[in-house]
Amino acid sequence: MKKIITALLSIAALNSVTVTADTLDDVADRGTLRCGVVLDFPPIGYRDANNEPAGFDVDYCHDLAKSLEVDVKIMPLTWSERLPVIATGRADVVFGGTSDSLARARTVGFSIPYAIYYSQGVVNSKSNITSIDDIRGKRVAAALGTLPEQEWLKIAAKWGEENLYQSYQSENEVFLAVAQGKADIGLTTNTAIKPITQQYANLEAGPRMPWVADYTSIVGKRQDVTWLNYLNLFVTHQVRSGRYQELWDKYVGSDAPDLRIPGVMY
Amino acid sequence: MFDYNFHWRPVLKSFPDLIQAGFVTLEIASLAMLLGIVIGLCLALMRINMKGPLKWFAVTWIEIARNTPALFQLFFFGFGLGAFGINLSPFTIILTGLSFNCAGYLAENFRGGFQAIPVMQINSARCLGMNSWQAYTRIVIPQVLRIVYYPITNQMVWAVLMSSLGMLVGFKELSGETQFFASKTFRVFEYFAVAAVIYYVIVKIVLGASRLLAMRLFRY
Amino acid sequence: MQEPVSFFTGFNPNDLWFLGEAALKTLWISILSITIGSVMGCVFGWVLHESKSVAGIILAPILDVFRSVPLLIQLVLFYNFAPMVGLDLNPFLSGVVILTFYTASLVTNVARGGIESVETSMRRASRSLGLTYWQDLFHVVLPIGGRTVFPAWIGVVLGVMKDSALVSVLGYVELLKASQILITRTQEPLLILSIAGAFYFALSYPISLYASKFEKRWAK
Repeated sequence: MKKIITALLSIAALNSVTVTADTLDDVADRGTLRCGVVLDFPPIGYRDANNEPAGFDVDYCHDLAKSLEVDVKIMPLTWSERLPVIATGRADVVFGGTSDSLARARTVGFSIPYAIYYSQGVVNSKSNITSIDDIRGKRVAAALGTLPEQEWLKIAAKWGEENLYQSYQSENEVFLAVAQGKADIGLTTNTAIKPITQQYANLEAGPRMPWVADYTSIVGKRQDVTWLNYLNLFVTHQVRSGRYQELWDKYVGSDAPDLRIPGVMY
Repeated sequence: MFDYNFHWRPVLKSFPDLIQAGFVTLEIASLAMLLGIVIGLCLALMRINMKGPLKWFAVTWIEIARNTPALFQLFFFGFGLGAFGINLSPFTIILTGLSFNCAGYLAENFRGGFQAIPVMQINSARCLGMNSWQAYTRIVIPQVLRIVYYPITNQMVWAVLMSSLGMLVGFKELSGETQFFASKTFRVFEYFAVAAVIYYVIVKIVLGASRLLAMRLFRY
Repeated sequence: MQEPVSFFTGFNPNDLWFLGEAALKTLWISILSITIGSVMGCVFGWVLHESKSVAGIILAPILDVFRSVPLLIQLVLFYNFAPMVGLDLNPFLSGVVILTFYTASLVTNVARGGIESVETSMRRASRSLGLTYWQDLFHVVLPIGGRTVFPAWIGVVLGVMKDSALVSVLGYVELLKASQILITRTQEPLLILSIAGAFYFALSYPISLYASKFEKRWAK
């Protein structure tokens, strides 16, 4: 027993030495990029007919791995797992529509934005919701640990309607809940609206949410600035090479949003 | 050698909320057990004494409850029933799911208890002039309760532990509340470590209370 | 513009295969952790029986923790803790580790009960016949005690097999996770949950049927 413990400890010690080195070297040494994505976020991340991961974020994982000349290991995550996997070092990088909020930046590091979304509701056609004010007194659902959840809870607190809010483990459970009538409106992202409303006959596009656009960034370890630098460069290269527009066109089907923020020098 | 910085401050700040959520856990487990005991008793009696559809109803309930995962049963009461347009609130989902599960397990315990009571005793009670209701409530059930007391205690602990699945159906008992805070602050490990301690304490309280109650109930 | 990509696709026969494969994974993770856990549990049970003072003080409370904290919380905690100390465990391994300890903590009680069910007089008799301590343990205590607690052990096995559904929370694609994935893609919760339930039932029911037959045979 004692031997096993010492062996385990020494393995742990060995590993931790490499962990403290930077991620860029780590990934090159390991030969695989551990890339976290959220797969219940069509068309950005979903599973295709063969139950394989697919989508905009998944392709970005592959592109990043290709740029590093390593293999890629796709790690499917839930929304609330996105930051802990980075903080505990289980993944090297997370794509997954992660909004670069300052609160989150205290825990993990962010690259420059790689995609921009805005929050929009998807409503049950029976609910008669067309504007934000219509939501008063209606049941609202969102996925646990997402930006829409946090922003909505602020509004709900002002209205005193926190009891009408229900969180779910995944975005798809949110859609299912709205379709089945467990909630009147589900908060999601504009890109998801089109595929969702095509899938369900009784779901419609709802109002756009009143908070600011959702600048989403690639997540990496906060302490590892060289890795974050690399990710920044990766984002600019994706745009420069036209790959960004190509993938956006493939999955979302329109002009890719401009990643620059007006009036700010990046 | 740790490459992780622990942050306990947010956890301490929300500690009162977690304790309160612990009471919710205890509450839901107790409610589910109460329902489970009543339904389980009925199922056991149906399985032993009835024939035809009622018996098969009881057998089906018991076998499904015992042979599929509790989490599966919760999903079924959630989105499964939702497909029929029956929408239960997270509270009802977890209460129905837990009661359904507990009833199935308890029914089998009760059945064992009933079978341990010799038929002779019922016959004797009837000879003494009791009707069958009296014979059951005064002779059989008190003895059965004594036999199944320990399994019931076990099941209560089990109900407390199983109520943690509420987190996965959106109900905010201890685990759900923990996960909610963890998702806001991203300190998953710290929050769940504290939740684990609270669960441990709850389980010990349940066991202690059960022992005290046993001393009171089974004095002679 | 490329050909349109479809993000949701209906249920097709391939998916049945996908679920079947996932059921095998459930079986595999259960067999692995039950086997290792049972062996560990037997050893722990023996240790607790033999040296009540020393090992009991250290071992018993540790095993008690595994029984008093929800499995869900244990899984989340361990999965988040392992990488902090540099162990890069995938969901499968994390699941196996926790399920193994969980099984061991349950089997310990069963094994201890088994050893204690063999009367001291019988063990003394076997020693008097010239059997060594180990011979006595393996040729007398194991067959007799093992038979007494076999049904209880089967209970643990079935419990762990169903509880393995919780590993889905870590993202390991076993039966329940696979059904969630399919629900996400096909949006047909009722159909897929029914199939998954049938798979679980098919895994669990034969074993529980066998156990109750076994129990009846030995009760005679």
